[in-house]
Amino acid sequence: MSEGVRLEFDGLAKRFDLRVVFRAVSGAAEPGEVLAITGPNGSGKSTLLTILCGLLRATRGEVRYLADSAEIPRDRWRKYLGIVAPAMSLYENLDALENLRFLALVRGMRDSEARCCECLEAVGLDPARSTTVRGFSTGMHQRLKIAQAILHDPPVLFLDEPGSNLDPAGQDWLEELVARERGRGKTVVLATNDRREMEWGTRRVALSG
Amino acid sequence: MWRFLAESGAVFAKDLRTEFRTRVALNALGLFAVTTLAAVSYTIGPYRIAENDRPFLLAALLWIVIFFAAMAGLDRTFVKEEDTHTAPLLRLSADPLVVWAGKLLFNFVLLGVLIAILVPLYMVLMGFRVDSTAGFLLVLGAGGYTLAVTTTMVAAIIARAMSRGALFSVLSLPLLLPLLIFLIQGTRAAVEGSAEGVSEALRAVVSLGGVMTVVSVVLFPVVWNE
Repeated sequence: MSEGVRLEFDGLAKRFDLRVVFRAVSGAAEPGEVLAITGPNGSGKSTLLTILCGLLRATRGEVRYLADSAEIPRDRWRKYLGIVAPAMSLYENLDALENLRFLALVRGMRDSEARCCECLEAVGLDPARSTTVRGFSTGMHQRLKIAQAILHDPPVLFLDEPGSNLDPAGQDWLEELVARERGRGKTVVLATNDRREMEWGTRRVALSG
Repeated sequence: MWRFLAESGAVFAKDLRTEFRTRVALNALGLFAVTTLAAVSYTIGPYRIAENDRPFLLAALLWIVIFFAAMAGLDRTFVKEEDTHTAPLLRLSADPLVVWAGKLLFNFVLLGVLIAILVPLYMVLMGFRVDSTAGFLLVLGAGGYTLAVTTTMVAAIIARAMSRGALFSVLSLPLLLPLLIFLIQGTRAAVEGSAEGVSEALRAVVSLGGVMTVVSVVLFPVVWNE
């Protein structure tokens, strides 16, 4: 999947019961751009990302994905998105390769074995491909989450605190990945409080909390 | 169609593999089934029921044991995905109906294993004999499917709710009560060798199964995604 996808969101608001998480948040990201979402703890960065990728409905406002100026229907969003988020886990009783094989199969990817191995190699988990995820360190978990997000080569990549738990070499590799994906015309949305990661952004949405 | 089957098969195979590695649902179902069966056979046994009452009472007891064992384990399929935070990943990777079909197949197979172990044990311990074996097997098969399709849908509804355990039984009971009545009637007819009784009960069970399948296909994507 190589076509560029534009993300637009307008007037987004989210309320849980009486607590207003954010209101009137708007923004956009073109293919080849990195949209950095920043804000203090509890300002709703992860909630905004969850809404943008369709896992949660906004109380108000709209999210649109456009490919060649045509709007992508909500029930097809998942084909265009890859997500790394702290609130999302992989199957702990499966090994790294089994996790990717399963996700490739349910995504309808054919002859995916080589692609799964390629992704594991890319995130430096090739030696641990047969290790059950339960035995992974938090950094290895994070690497495997990144591997599953890029598995189907999506045009939009959501990264929520992507560098958390990564060692310095992992963070350097992550920076290269973001630059490479951006160079390939991918739209990257980044939620972070890390100063280094904030600098990767070409656009910014700041939530006030 | 082949693609749908392959993707559902992947969900089923993943659930089967993780179940074999943890055996949470299998242990819950097995433990409840064996305990209930032991209690029933110890307190009632094969000889404490009057001959005239045997077909109805033994048929009713069999389905009560299967029903409550199913209640103990079949809700795990979706609750486990939510508790381990794998549900968002599955939502973002698979078509909702693929998830539903894979989970339904898993619950049906789990229930099939339970029935395959429980029914022969029940027949031995309770002196349970059927005249129409084919009719009995058809009732078990249709009943197992309808029980699986109903509990799969209810499990999906309650997976994100609080007090899940209680809610599963509370929501399942009204949906499954008519099914239980038809299954007991069908099993009783199979015991007595009444082909007409079996066929009448089967028609009702298959209809309920069909209705629940259609309702699930329509409702599941909404329940799963919202």
